[in-house]
Amino acid sequence: MALSKSVLLQDVRKTFREPKGGADVHAVDGVSFEIAPGELVTLLGPSGCGKTTVLRMVAGFEIPSAGHIAIGGTDVTALPPNKRDTAMVFQSYGLFPHMNVGDNIAYGLKLRGVPPGERAKKADEFLALVGLEGKGDRSPSQLSGGQQQRVALARALIVGPSVLLLDEPLSNLDALLREQMRVEIRRIQKTLNITAIYVTHDRTEAMSLSDRIIVMRSGKIAQIGPPPEIYANPASVFVAGFIGKAAFFQATVTEIDETCRVEVNGHRLAIPRWSPELRPGDRAKVMCRPESLTFLPAGQGVLDGRVTTNIYLGNTLESYIATEIGEILVQVDNPAGKTIPAEGEGGEHRHPPGAVQGARRRRGRSVTGGSEAGNRLVFFSKPRYSGDTVTRRGTPLCH
Amino acid sequence: MFTRKRLIAYVALLLAFSLFAWWAWSNLSSAFVDLTERQARSTTAAIVSNAPADPQEMAAWPKHHSDGDTQIALYDDFPGYGDAPLHAGTDALASYLNDPANKGTVDQGVESAMYEEVFQVPGRVTLDGRAHMVFFHPVFDEETREVRGVGVAAADFSRGAEYLHLMGLVFIAAVVVFAFVAGVLKFVRDAITGFAVVGMFVIVGVFVAYPLFEAARLTFMYNGEFSLDTWRGVLASKQYMAALKRSLYLGVLTASISTVIGYLFAFALSRTNVPWKRFFAAMATLPVISPPFTLTLSIILLFGRNGLVSKQLLGLDFDVYGLTGLVLAQVIGMFPIAFMTLSGVLAAIDSTMEEAALNLSASRFTTFTTITLPLSLPGILSAWLLVFVNSLADFANPLILGGNYYVLSVEAYNEAMGMNRMDWGAALSFLLLMPTITAFFIQRYWISRRSFVTVTGKPSGRLIELVGRGGKAGLVSVMAAISIFIVLLYATVVAGCFVRNWGIDYSFSTENIVEAVQRGWDSITATVTLAAAATPVAGLLAMIAALLLARKRFPLKRLLEILIMTPFALPGTLLGIAFVMAFNKPPLLLVGTGLIIVINFVVREFPVGMEGGIASLKQIDPSIEEAAMNLGADTSVVFKDMVLPLIRPAFISALSYTFVRSMTAVSAVIFLISARWQLLTMQIYNFSENTRFGLASVLSTILIIIVFFVFWLMRRLLRSSEHLDKTITSN
Repeated sequence: MALSKSVLLQDVRKTFREPKGGADVHAVDGVSFEIAPGELVTLLGPSGCGKTTVLRMVAGFEIPSAGHIAIGGTDVTALPPNKRDTAMVFQSYGLFPHMNVGDNIAYGLKLRGVPPGERAKKADEFLALVGLEGKGDRSPSQLSGGQQQRVALARALIVGPSVLLLDEPLSNLDALLREQMRVEIRRIQKTLNITAIYVTHDRTEAMSLSDRIIVMRSGKIAQIGPPPEIYANPASVFVAGFIGKAAFFQATVTEIDETCRVEVNGHRLAIPRWSPELRPGDRAKVMCRPESLTFLPAGQGVLDGRVTTNIYLGNTLESYIATEIGEILVQVDNPAGKTIPAEGEGGEHRHPPGAVQGARRRRGRSVTGGSEAGNRLVFFSKPRYSGDTVTRRGTPLCH
Repeated sequence: MFTRKRLIAYVALLLAFSLFAWWAWSNLSSAFVDLTERQARSTTAAIVSNAPADPQEMAAWPKHHSDGDTQIALYDDFPGYGDAPLHAGTDALASYLNDPANKGTVDQGVESAMYEEVFQVPGRVTLDGRAHMVFFHPVFDEETREVRGVGVAAADFSRGAEYLHLMGLVFIAAVVVFAFVAGVLKFVRDAITGFAVVGMFVIVGVFVAYPLFEAARLTFMYNGEFSLDTWRGVLASKQYMAALKRSLYLGVLTASISTVIGYLFAFALSRTNVPWKRFFAAMATLPVISPPFTLTLSIILLFGRNGLVSKQLLGLDFDVYGLTGLVLAQVIGMFPIAFMTLSGVLAAIDSTMEEAALNLSASRFTTFTTITLPLSLPGILSAWLLVFVNSLADFANPLILGGNYYVLSVEAYNEAMGMNRMDWGAALSFLLLMPTITAFFIQRYWISRRSFVTVTGKPSGRLIELVGRGGKAGLVSVMAAISIFIVLLYATVVAGCFVRNWGIDYSFSTENIVEAVQRGWDSITATVTLAAAATPVAGLLAMIAALLLARKRFPLKRLLEILIMTPFALPGTLLGIAFVMAFNKPPLLLVGTGLIIVINFVVREFPVGMEGGIASLKQIDPSIEEAAMNLGADTSVVFKDMVLPLIRPAFISALSYTFVRSMTAVSAVIFLISARWQLLTMQIYNFSENTRFGLASVLSTILIIIVFFVFWLMRRLLRSSEHLDKTITSN
């Protein structure tokens, strides 16, 4: 195996011109990050955020309009794809339909002039690695989707690339298989200790796989960090909403001492985590994760509401509750045996516990507040993220 | 990848190479000039040394020894030192020597000669508009060995100048090629694609743009000057305007009838459950691949002046030559074009819409008139235009069957080859192009906007019956009649091989076969050789062009696509005339060679193969090629390992299409054939012209056999790659 290498992007931009004299589209707008050798980093974001373009630029299929890309310290910006030491797993797999599975896997070795005997041996080895022993003679079309996916992975890994690139590799698989392959990919990546960039729009995939997540939006990086940090300390309303379910409320800060006290639609709430820049009198945005809330007998909690919909998911139950400050989602773990208000039942008090945090921006920079496992609501300052759609002043952004 | 560093390196490299090329060129050219001058000096010295001493002989001698290459003059004694009469061989040399402006040079020359030295006038002297080297030689007295006069000799240098010019061009070309290659290597990330693009531009530039430009330019020239005479003459000519009208009239008739028949077939096959669908479909496509002259020939055999039906069976004095015969031949030959277009259109109309109408209690007839027909209207117009354009460009049928009905394409041929007025032929062909271009723009900007057909990619497999029992019977009988007529036409050609003398003596004989094979053997081998040479070139070129246009981004891509498609859309007569006009002179003197025929085949047929290649590539997931590239394959390896195997069906189609079309080509190559390269179609034409219909039938049959064999082979090869199609779409 080749030594895994670092990947560095420096202010990379990609501008497409719309056909027929249209405006320039900034698909990637000044992206910089560094990936350590052996690290698996996920590019996460909604479709059209530029994550696939970034990956394709690392692979060399797109040429950056500006900026530099280095792999293992060597500038590769000008190198064509076939001269780069990257291996890519495509969303549609891109298996060669006119070759059998074994030849598919060994194709990269063939290009590197490896003699046929050695090629076949190595192909068998990698077939075993991805759990497809003895399937080398099949045609790709004879395999199931998950198996095709494994072939694509083996084909990429066999050349011993210094960077593995995965472009939404699991999006064509059904949910169960996806989870299975997720584990598999992580296991193989760790075994081979290979640097990997993984593109996905699926937050659970990103959370479960990555050493670090890069959340992207509109061609820019919204936040970089390990999964727990991104979940707990999202840098913006967008990140908060994209990385997990949450309810947001518009609030006004009234007092800050050990907790941050705010007023939401006439209700006074105490928030355990907030942006240090918040001052009394500021308008801010409060975030509330569903798992941080619990049902309490009426009158004992901080908010009253009425259940509108209960969604039973087996291990959890999600309950949508209409309150005076807006709709709130409550997640109840192990719902069996618990007393849960039925749909339409009201007058319940709910006490919001859970992690609370605030992210606030003042004069161009976002600040994330400290985390604390308090039993309160989550707070956000009014976001005014530069150039971001999150900045729409005062509009509650619910996802 | 354009950086300043690379630009500087490139400019430096280019400068170094240019300097080297210039140095090499100046060395070579001065060596050449030295050699030429030395040779001229000694040759002229030898001539002058033989000058007579007798004054009377002396007067006539220079004239006698002057020719196109060398001009001689003699001074008896020395001018300026005595009475020195000049005896000049030519007026040009005399006027040069007597010109007061040249007095200094002449005096210098005479003085050198007095001192027994040869003097060469520095540089070149222009005599009669050509460059000359001028020498002053001393003339010695044979006995005393003393100088008694001066001999002046001017040796023609124009050939040497031409050679120098050519050598200069070679060096400039070398610098240009070097600049190209180095530029691509330096600035293009994917150099192989860069070279392919440049190569493609060179090919279409030299063999499409240049001939067309040359043909257009020459229609505006008269005796080497700009003039509108040709166009004025053509447009004012009643004869040619009448021919244009005839062409248009024929086109309208053929297109209308063909579209009706084509729609009938397409509708019956896609919207009803008539029997013998496969047979009808085969009959409605067969004429498209049939060689030219075949249907014409059998129409003559059946309905001609001595036709089996017209004369022998009905006893009519009927003449099929002219409009009637032309419409008949063109409709049979071209209704398949309408059929295939309309089949596609009807298949793309989702029959759910018809079901919806029926479900809303519309009658079948109402459904047809309010749903099916309006939806297929843009398709009907396209089909009509397509046949119309084909009819206008048709050359083979009118050539044989036209009689007195002269259409424009035939007039262009007569003008160019019969009267040897290429520019007039070109102008007429351009005239023919105008309706074609109009039709193209109507198709592109009017019909395509009005098209309702949304291709969902999932034509519903269900068949709904839009015609009742009676209507179906009517459809079947019309289709059967047309199909049987087509079969009859083919059978007639085959029968023509075995009849002693069609129209007079119908007894069985194989004489014609023997004679036709003997006389036509050369043309058979020549045609097969040329077509076989063009086939792989066109096939590969088509696939490379398809890859470039479907997958790569590069500047001027649109222009390249237009240039590639142009020869396909042009009337063959125009392309043929343009080729003759462009390549019957240096630097590309190709007329008369087999090469020009092959090139013509290639540029005419590869666009169709390319279209097929692009269509297949669009079906194939680009990530297959990207995966290969990602694993280390460059563009050429991707082409060889991925593209070619994946679009194998398109490749095979392109190969067989090129071969068949080249075997059966008429309109363009008729201008390019030579005694050495007689083509099979030309031979058939010659035999028909000389009413040797038996021989023509034999050659036609041979051609049909070759064509059908190639198509059979293609189908065999395609079947073996069917599994491929499935896999590609399943991914």
